Amino acid sequence: MKPWLLLVYRIPREPTAGRVFVWRKLKQLGAIAVQDAIWVIPQTHRTREQFQWLAAEITELKGEALVWDAEQIYATDAESLRRQFTEPVEAEYREILAALKKKSPDLPSLSKRFQEAQTRDYFASEFGRQAREKLLAAAEGSP
Amino acid sequence: MKWVTWENVGIDRIGCAWMILRNIDPKATFVFIPRGTAIPPDAEPFDIPDVRFSHHGGHCSFHALVDHYKISDPVMHRITRIIDEADTVQAVNIEPAATGLDLICEGVRLISPNDHAAIELGKQVYDALYARLALESGQTTAGGDQ
Repeated sequence: MKPWLLLVYRIPREPTAGRVFVWRKLKQLGAIAVQDAIWVIPQTHRTREQFQWLAAEITELKGEALVWDAEQIYATDAESLRRQFTEPVEAEYREILAALKKKSPDLPSLSKRFQEAQTRDYFASEFGRQAREKLLAAAEGSP
Repeated sequence: MKWVTWENVGIDRIGCAWMILRNIDPKATFVFIPRGTAIPPDAEPFDIPDVRFSHHGGHCSFHALVDHYKISDPVMHRITRIIDEADTVQAVNIEPAATGLDLICEGVRLISPNDHAAIELGKQVYDALYARLALESGQTTAGGDQ
């Protein structure tokens, strides 16, 4: 499997609901619009499946969509794309870690946030591993 | 009737096959074709992009079947919600079983020698899920004993 998936699409301006639907899904998957031109996401079994269905739904909304399997062969800043995916997820993990250090943290809500962050953690972040450990440790410590 | 879908079945395709046999066509036979290849003309396709029993309006293919065949069983509607949350991107996620069922279905395919065997085993998983959810049907809230 190549590391990236790319999507380019066009969708009629009206009805706006269709445009919003597609945009929201891309955001929720954690896809990034590189140069405001092409949507990119790390390839996993799940993202491949989701991009393909989204493309079919764009077609159904009378738009046009193209999806590629891709490998990056040149980039001005090789790590920049990857960072755009890791940074928001790591920020979320760091917030969870910080909240765990406070007095009587809200463990149920923090574990939900952790699960949520995990769905967009495409590069198995070290902060994710830490957050998992600390959450489990906090659960042990709580009455 | 002959039904066709892509090979390497997962949560949605296993669920669809189970429901087709259970609620729609008990004598159904299934054909599995490689992703992206031509659909045999004599078979009804499901969970393949751009066919009627597929993802529509942000819902899974299981949803398309439940809708088309007007299945009113509340337990089936609950299972539809679970598959929707597992297999499509949803803004609201309220079914904790979704992630687990997704992983189990992937595992069912991994331990099965082929897609036919995966459907056979997957049917038992869905029968078990149905039986458990049926205990709760009629309740307004989920998971009475959790």
